[in-house]
Amino acid sequence: MADFLLESVWLVPCYALIGGLLSIPWSPGILRRTGPRPSGYVNLIATFLAFVHSALTIPLAWNQPPYELSIPWLNTAGLNLSIDLEISAISVTAMAVIAGLNFLAQVYAVGYMEMDWGWARFYSLLGIFEAGLCALALCNNLFFSYVILEVLTLGTYLLVGLWFSQSLVVTGARDAFLTKRVGDLFLLMGVLAIYPLAGTWNYWELGEWAATANVDPKLMLLVGLALIAGPMGKCAQFPLHLWLDEAMEGPVPSTILRNSVVVASGAWVLIKLQPVLSLSPVVSTTMVVIGSITAVGASLIAIAQIDIKRCLSYSVSAYMGLVFIAVGTQQDEAALLLVLIHALSAALLVMGTGTIVWNNITQDVTQLGGLWSRRPVSAIGYIVGTLGLIAVPPLGGFWALLKLASGVWTTQPWLAGVIILVNGLTAFSLTREFGLIWGGKHQSMSYRSPEVSWQMILPMTFLVGFVLHLPILLQTVSILPSWATLNKDVGLLLIWSSIFGCSISGVIYLGNIPKPIRLPWKGLQDLIAYDFYTPKLYRMTIVLGVGLLSQLADIVDRFVVDGIVNLVGLASLGGGEGLKYSNSGQTQFYVLTVLLGVGFLGVALTWKYWNSFLEVIF
Amino acid sequence: MQLEYFLLLAAALFCIGIYGLITSRNAVRVLMSIELLLNAVNLNLMAFSNFMDSDAIKGQVFTVFVITVAAAEAAVGLAIVLAIYRNRDTVDMEQFNLLKW
Repeated sequence: MADFLLESVWLVPCYALIGGLLSIPWSPGILRRTGPRPSGYVNLIATFLAFVHSALTIPLAWNQPPYELSIPWLNTAGLNLSIDLEISAISVTAMAVIAGLNFLAQVYAVGYMEMDWGWARFYSLLGIFEAGLCALALCNNLFFSYVILEVLTLGTYLLVGLWFSQSLVVTGARDAFLTKRVGDLFLLMGVLAIYPLAGTWNYWELGEWAATANVDPKLMLLVGLALIAGPMGKCAQFPLHLWLDEAMEGPVPSTILRNSVVVASGAWVLIKLQPVLSLSPVVSTTMVVIGSITAVGASLIAIAQIDIKRCLSYSVSAYMGLVFIAVGTQQDEAALLLVLIHALSAALLVMGTGTIVWNNITQDVTQLGGLWSRRPVSAIGYIVGTLGLIAVPPLGGFWALLKLASGVWTTQPWLAGVIILVNGLTAFSLTREFGLIWGGKHQSMSYRSPEVSWQMILPMTFLVGFVLHLPILLQTVSILPSWATLNKDVGLLLIWSSIFGCSISGVIYLGNIPKPIRLPWKGLQDLIAYDFYTPKLYRMTIVLGVGLLSQLADIVDRFVVDGIVNLVGLASLGGGEGLKYSNSGQTQFYVLTVLLGVGFLGVALTWKYWNSFLEVIF
Repeated sequence: MQLEYFLLLAAALFCIGIYGLITSRNAVRVLMSIELLLNAVNLNLMAFSNFMDSDAIKGQVFTVFVITVAAAEAAVGLAIVLAIYRNRDTVDMEQFNLLKW
């Protein structure tokens, strides 16, 4: 039984995929009489199966050496594409986390999507997401990782565009697709360029190759940059971060999944590619720089948002930036730990705020307030999510950030400073959101706010329990550092930054300072509130350039290319129109042409005799 | 007296006939130009018959035929001109340009 579970763990993505496919029949256009709910239940069963299977497999895989399953996919001349699956403790755990979070998000959606008819579409897309993510976790091959990333990009487009009758949803889905697509296409360039170098797309073999590779540094730099561009788009890093903001137009339950897991799919590929990326120091530096800029910038932006969901989405970008820093400084374990911690906490945060959105309607935090007394459970969920994300011992975020910061403490102290700063800013923004929603006085939008139904509260409380138990779990599998080897300076700094962030924010937003808060410089406040005017930036650079270029191409196509061809037609038309006047209707003219013809023909035929003829005459 | 002179004279007559054929506006003058052409041909035939074939004089036979046919042709031509004249009240060649483009 145990062997069977371990060997058939590749079925986990299939459960979700089957679940997703089985929910399609309850689309409003197919099964008209049953309503959409069975699609959700079918999917829940499939996801639960996937979760149970992967969770039961974790202890079996834990102390085993990782091994690989290889399924041949395509054999053509000189190219053997096989789907390599890595079955290791990490991949199985990742699948369990994905399936578990998806299960919780789906239960949440049963409550949240109660008034919605689009369950079939929604649940089938969630199923496809789960299948894709689990397959990505299992996949040990860069090529198929790319394939899955692209499928997920399409999935994001469809899922963000669920309620496509809203115009902002349509533009958001468009941006989410195109931005991620651009990154993915750069990734494809990298994927294609690495094959002639390494001769393989298998991550393990790539690692072995990277250990002894001797490649032109410039070449490796370009390949490395292309390889990080994909995760850059996926993880919503600067400057490809706008899509995550606009993707907040999608339904909340899908946001749970996206904020926690989908953006981490890019980080997963990045972590797997870390040996290759570390071949070029410039690429590592670039990752660190991008990660730092995103982490600091996005956590600043998160502070200045008023939309309940966008406050959180920028924190996601910030934490993914920290993952970039971790990979850029060759700390795979810290990165994986960070992804795990962030997934659970971010899901909890979105669940907590989603319950508020569900029955307070507005997403504007400045119109909410005073919900602590009547929404304690949601508040506790949110608080635990916050504490789990920022560095508060003994919860998970502390250990992940500590691991990351102590790794760079001696080599790049400024980077540790960035991490501590980001932690402080995130603490500030999360506490601000808490203060604005649950603290303060009631406002008209939050005057009557009952707690939501059990379908939404239950998964949240489950996750609260899990986040609280995570340190114990980590302790059992001895991932946490022992007290002796702990870098206490960094730990203290992190704790202090959390305390500072939370308490300053608490004083401002829970105290009696008049709201809304205005910075002394309105320009600065607007700058970060409008996300450094990124939409304008896009519109003025890439969109403008591509737009002008396509207009130019259109003009060239319309006038030059079409024109040349049309000119041929016009010329023959004009020739016919003009030459018809040679039929003058005058018999005498016809006679003249006949005679001219005869004359020319005669001259041409006798041309060779003309010399001697002229000699005779003259 | 040489063959060439006859031939040149005939050619000159032919050219005059061509000129008349193309430039005349009166349809009868066109027919007259055609007669000039035929006479130029007849001159050729007679000259060749005399200088090249004085025994069998096949050219003279040809000439007789040409004169005969020319007479018939002139008769038909004049009939056509008359027919057109009846319809259109003119023999101006420039008025007969109905069958154009």
